Amino acid sequence: MALPAEASTGFKFDNVKRNQLLGDKGYKLPTATKTGTTIVGLIFKDGVVLGADTRATAGTIVADKNCEKIHYLAPNMYCCGAGTAADTEFTTSMISSQLALHSLNTGREARVVTAMTMLKQYLFRYQGHIGAALVLGGYDVTGPHLFTIYPHGSTDKLPFVTMGSGSLAAMSVFESRWREGLSREEGIELVKDAIEAGVFNDLGSGSNVDVCVLTKGNVEYLRGYSRPNERVFKEQSYKFAPGTTEFIDPAAAQGEDATAMDVSA
Amino acid sequence: MASLKPGEANLGTTIMAVKFDGGVVVGADSRTSTGTYVANRVTDKLTKVHDRIYCCRSGSAADTQAIADVVNYHLDLYTAQHGGPPTVSVAASLFQEICYQNKGNLSAGIIVAGWDKHNGGSVFEIPLGGSLHQQQFAIGGSGSTYIYGYCDKTFRPGMSKEECIQFVKNAVSLAMARDGSSGGVIRLAVITPDGVERTVVYGDRLPTQYSD
Amino acid sequence: MTSIGTGYDLSVSTYSPDGRVFQVEYAQKAVDNSGTAIGLRVKDGVVLAVEKIKHSRLLVPGSNKRIMTAGRHIGVAAAGWMSDTRHLVKRARDEAHHYHSVYKADIPAKIIAERMGMYVQAYTLYSSVRPFGVSTILACVDTDGPQLYMVEPSGQFTGYRGCAAGKGKQAAKTEIEKLKLEELTVRDAVKEAARIIYAAHDEAKDKLFELELSWICAESGMLHAHVPADVLAEAIQHAERSLDEDDDDDDEMEDEDL
Repeated sequence: MALPAEASTGFKFDNVKRNQLLGDKGYKLPTATKTGTTIVGLIFKDGVVLGADTRATAGTIVADKNCEKIHYLAPNMYCCGAGTAADTEFTTSMISSQLALHSLNTGREARVVTAMTMLKQYLFRYQGHIGAALVLGGYDVTGPHLFTIYPHGSTDKLPFVTMGSGSLAAMSVFESRWREGLSREEGIELVKDAIEAGVFNDLGSGSNVDVCVLTKGNVEYLRGYSRPNERVFKEQSYKFAPGTTEFIDPAAAQGEDATAMDVSA
Repeated sequence: MASLKPGEANLGTTIMAVKFDGGVVVGADSRTSTGTYVANRVTDKLTKVHDRIYCCRSGSAADTQAIADVVNYHLDLYTAQHGGPPTVSVAASLFQEICYQNKGNLSAGIIVAGWDKHNGGSVFEIPLGGSLHQQQFAIGGSGSTYIYGYCDKTFRPGMSKEECIQFVKNAVSLAMARDGSSGGVIRLAVITPDGVERTVVYGDRLPTQYSD
Repeated sequence: MTSIGTGYDLSVSTYSPDGRVFQVEYAQKAVDNSGTAIGLRVKDGVVLAVEKIKHSRLLVPGSNKRIMTAGRHIGVAAAGWMSDTRHLVKRARDEAHHYHSVYKADIPAKIIAERMGMYVQAYTLYSSVRPFGVSTILACVDTDGPQLYMVEPSGQFTGYRGCAAGKGKQAAKTEIEKLKLEELTVRDAVKEAARIIYAAHDEAKDKLFELELSWICAESGMLHAHVPADVLAEAIQHAERSLDEDDDDDDEMEDEDL
């Protein structure tokens, strides 16, 4: 029986079934790059403190030792991102420009709930396929606000929150030490400790601690507020004294024994 | 009916609503979990969709929040167009329409309860498939399976407001004691023509059970 | 109408210099040429009545109804072009059905009147369409009780206790204004409506006509329905009798004048 000539162009779906089968059998299919992360936020007496570690990973590789995970949304709002790095980056920057247009149209400073609603509706629309887990903090006309937003579009409003792979370590710090009416210094210190708990105890988190303090009419972005993993100079010198390595001089090797290498040339 | 997606926040929940002469009592636990982690231990699952109409949310947090937002929008629009508040049954119908038409993409079990001047207090339940059931009282969420017997045995038509509040407190705390996905505090709302009264029963003030 | 014939009446998308849209006014004329239609809102229901002018003796009695049902609880009486009426009634049915499918509740009179008004108004905006040549009288009983609205070719919709449209509307309105509508029952109103339609009928211009009567009340199960044959017969009897009495009165007065 003659077989039909194989088409030379077009899509081939031969692997779809195979991949499905492999997936069903429990083989891990390739997934998007995700940042193991610790991000946190808390409300203190006069505003909100946000915190984040600075490690970005690609699988088991540390892709960036000092990345920025606290993203700008509006002059009075910042947003920590965990999950797929590209998604947090693009989601926050897109909502940021929408917020800028919104406050231009209204002639007012944007509210934190507005940003929260825009983010949740955007993420909900993509049914969790945009892997952005966010901690949103800000100070608006109605006071300080802090939200978490999950990739599927659910939100929580709480006085202290953590997210990312280091969230459990960070939450343990918050659960034991957060109280109402913290001072600015206490708030920053607690956020730093929570992030450091992630940095030290979670493989996905590491390097430095970034902090952002949002108060009425003021933002302080403390990049590298704590650097618990500073690279120190090696105590030993790896410079070798001339003549350390023996070699065979091809010319001398004709008749003589090997001598020390002449490095003066 | 969509199942929960990996990593999705879940309201493994106990929710409840009871009708009495002149209003309704709604109650819920406060646990939101992602897998085995409690993502929020003080969640408010009683969501206002109009002045005197609340919904109790169970299932996916994202889905039920989105649905409640949409219904809230429609009810505000209804109020503007009709020049008066909607009935609870109108609100329940809107919930049902959304839950039924999108049943393939949603995991949401919702109880709608409230007061209106035509029917007084009323309670509607919308389970996963998007059907609509009017009831004297309704329970929902993963924790409800533990308390069907208790509720059927305890409920009497014509209970007073105070009796209903106690009934809800008892039932929800029993469910919280047995259901791993329910816990935290009990949040309550009493909806009457005079307004909505919100209260909380903290974890250390729950009615004591035999197992305690 | 000084602007007539100057080109300002050719399209609904052009205003006349004095701010009128002549095509809409012409549509109103189409209504004014039609048989009279009236609606009465009384304490326990609503009554609709129409003078259906018959242009031929060969027409089957009771055919070509001019009172239609737009929803179980909504009646529509029309004055104007019947083809336009049927289109509007279809629209009203769709609106009522859609409302019910969303809210699982009967559409209130105010809402359906508003939606019909919006629909009719849209036909006064575009040069590619002609306004509806019909005024519809909507009768409805909703949660707020009996309701009566009239939607005109301009898209204006108004709530009434009693209203009239068509060639006899002036005479009819004068009669309606004499009634104590808030004290009347539907049983009384049916008779009054019949009397008014008969009184408004111009024997000289239109010889043949048929009275159409419908109501929404407890007797009809709060649904819109044409009145039963015996009620209709009784109403017609009442109308004819009072017409005779009026004639007698007129005769007497003429006598006195002489």
